[in-house]
Amino acid sequence: MLPFQAHFYDGLTAGRHDVHVALNSDRVHLDISGDTLSPALHWPLQDLRALKGSADRDGLTLTRVAETDDEAPRDPARLVITDPAAIDWFHKTRPSLFKTDLRSGTFRKIATYAGAAVVAVLMMLFVILPALANSLAKILPIEREIAFGRHVTAQMERFMGASELGGLRCSSPEGDAAIAKMLTRLTENHDMHYDVEIHVFDHPMLNAFAAPGGQVVMMRGLIEEAERAEEVAGVLAHEIAHVENRDATRHALRATGSAGLLTMLIGDFTGAAAIALIGEHMLSASYTREAEGIADEFALEMLANADVDSNGFARFFDELGEHTHGVEIPSYLSTHPATGDRADKARAFAAQQSDTRPILNETEWQAMRSICDKSD
Amino acid sequence: MNTHSSAPLSYHGEKGPLFSLAFKTALLTLITLGIYRFWQKTRIRKYIWSSIDMGGDRLEYTGTGLEKLLGFFIAVLFLAVYLGAIQMGLFYFGFSMMVDPQTASYEEMIGYLIAIYASFFAVLPFLLFAVYRARRYKMARTRFRGIRFGMDNGAWGYVGRALLYWLLSILTLFILSPLAMFKLEKYMADRSYYGSGRIEQGGKWTALYKYALHMFIGIVLLAGGAGAGAALQNEALMIIGMVVGYIWFFVGITYFQIRSFAYLMENKTLNGEIGFTCEPKTGTVIKHYIVGGLIVGLIIGVIAAILGAGVSIIAGAMLSGGNVDPMMFTILPIIIGVVIYLPLLVLAQALALVFITQPIIAHIVETTAVTNADALNRITQRETERGVDADGFADALDVGGAI
Repeated sequence: MLPFQAHFYDGLTAGRHDVHVALNSDRVHLDISGDTLSPALHWPLQDLRALKGSADRDGLTLTRVAETDDEAPRDPARLVITDPAAIDWFHKTRPSLFKTDLRSGTFRKIATYAGAAVVAVLMMLFVILPALANSLAKILPIEREIAFGRHVTAQMERFMGASELGGLRCSSPEGDAAIAKMLTRLTENHDMHYDVEIHVFDHPMLNAFAAPGGQVVMMRGLIEEAERAEEVAGVLAHEIAHVENRDATRHALRATGSAGLLTMLIGDFTGAAAIALIGEHMLSASYTREAEGIADEFALEMLANADVDSNGFARFFDELGEHTHGVEIPSYLSTHPATGDRADKARAFAAQQSDTRPILNETEWQAMRSICDKSD
Repeated sequence: MNTHSSAPLSYHGEKGPLFSLAFKTALLTLITLGIYRFWQKTRIRKYIWSSIDMGGDRLEYTGTGLEKLLGFFIAVLFLAVYLGAIQMGLFYFGFSMMVDPQTASYEEMIGYLIAIYASFFAVLPFLLFAVYRARRYKMARTRFRGIRFGMDNGAWGYVGRALLYWLLSILTLFILSPLAMFKLEKYMADRSYYGSGRIEQGGKWTALYKYALHMFIGIVLLAGGAGAGAALQNEALMIIGMVVGYIWFFVGITYFQIRSFAYLMENKTLNGEIGFTCEPKTGTVIKHYIVGGLIVGLIIGVIAAILGAGVSIIAGAMLSGGNVDPMMFTILPIIIGVVIYLPLLVLAQALALVFITQPIIAHIVETTAVTNADALNRITQRETERGVDADGFADALDVGGAI
């Protein structure tokens, strides 16, 4: 209890003052006096604040609220108390001992800077980086793009379990010829910027992708699940659309910029990388969804020009829908539009088509389906 | 002469309170998607600073989480534009340099590698800038006996010197790295203050070589062992050479770090009259690394094994139910990551702070003393440091140590 002996630092010099602390007779001030301290100080009790988060269990360091230029509105003077009874008394009688005091306008300042930072980042992510990516993708020399595409395809193959380069690639003379025929039929009425190169990977996944520079990869699972050649043709037309729109290239350029930005924002705390990855995925999902929609339309047009029935394309989406057991990934997480909508669109388009003819005959279709069968 | 009043430092931090503080704040950081990290850093620093005692007076850390948040926003404003554009420009450069690895010529491959490393060099000046600013912020927010520490603004001067000295040391195969280390420490120390008292770095850079000897021997053993083993087609010789070299190097570099820190500390003076003695033992530091590492590894290993077994039982039960949903293969790894991996990583970090970092800090603090401590009484207050970015750049660029 009061009074008690303590150390005092006046905030002006590093010299220690041994002081006597007592409650003023008005009961709202603390009197601090000592031989080396003149004049004696009278600190209002309501202004007293203690240092927070200290490892010092046996001591309590007091200061008081004061208007300063410091990071917090605190008097630089320090009263160091080690008397247990006194520490106890302060804890019990001063409810605002550990209160945080903020200057007026702090939140407005934070809000202003937060707003400016958010605007800068959003501008970068949604306006500047995509625009830069678009123009960079346009001026990128095609041969470099092709080299990069080969690199990506090779990486993908390794990722899917190939022990050596080309280890997953399926090829047979009849199958290759069927694929070439399908490609020619789809592209002959189109002014193509790229030479499309098609690979079939020996993998059960129901999927296909386009790499930069005209590399298109279809998985064995996709061809096997298809009932008609038109289904494969629809998917192929869709991937060709990605190639022609340079989607993969633009995507790679934009992703590098925004991934770097997101990692910076989230910082280096534990788990930051995982969160940045999810953020980047959600961001790229919104872009690719748009690109997918455009590619679908392009594909339907291509099928129409080649007189290929787009019901096949619709059936492929039905197939895809079945494989997800009706569990739709929420659209903000998914990189593709809802499959049901895509199937409906393709079916509606098919209803307007008249003179369609088969894209492959039965022999060619079977050759394509067995392209991954080992010939031995 | 003035050694009549030597005041030893002591460290009073404990394992329990620091662990619960570190673990709790790290979980809060995870839950708030990283926003709490500014307060996490603040609270851990407050704990460690206030554990350091001289003559009954504790160090004080006065930084706040809010100012770190603000500093971060400011850094983002600057860096968002710079980094986003630079990174993509460089990637484009790398992209257009991209070559087919099967057909590339030697020159093309070199060009490709240069393009990749260029992005690192574009950010390097900012990293060095952040290093200086982070130290300045720490100084500006440290007080002792109510008196502020401080540091002059000189970040770009530091960037220039650091680039120069490190280039020099790389060109000399790191033989000149003690020069870089000494000069850069001197640059920062000479701009530092405690109140009105200026800190000065004395000593000579060549003195650091006697501590660097074993580090260099380790490198020679590593390279020599590998080289001799390869030349003689002797695998055993190669493995022995590399293992001995690696251990020698690890001990050597720890010895170098500890002894050169002590040398630099003992040759600092404050206000021209206050000095320091600093005698940490390399053996004790290595012991803390090994024992602490084993404890952390053991705890994490046991918990991971228990959780892993639990997950495989659940996953097994779900998969044996027949109807395997392909979606599960996408979602399951994410769930495992969020539920197990991240909290485990948080736990490992908190344990490492308690069992490795804190004991080493404690050892260094307790082997340090201030000579002529009475002269501290003549130190007077200094002005508040304005314009510190509160670690904003260091945070945005992932620069910074354990605390």
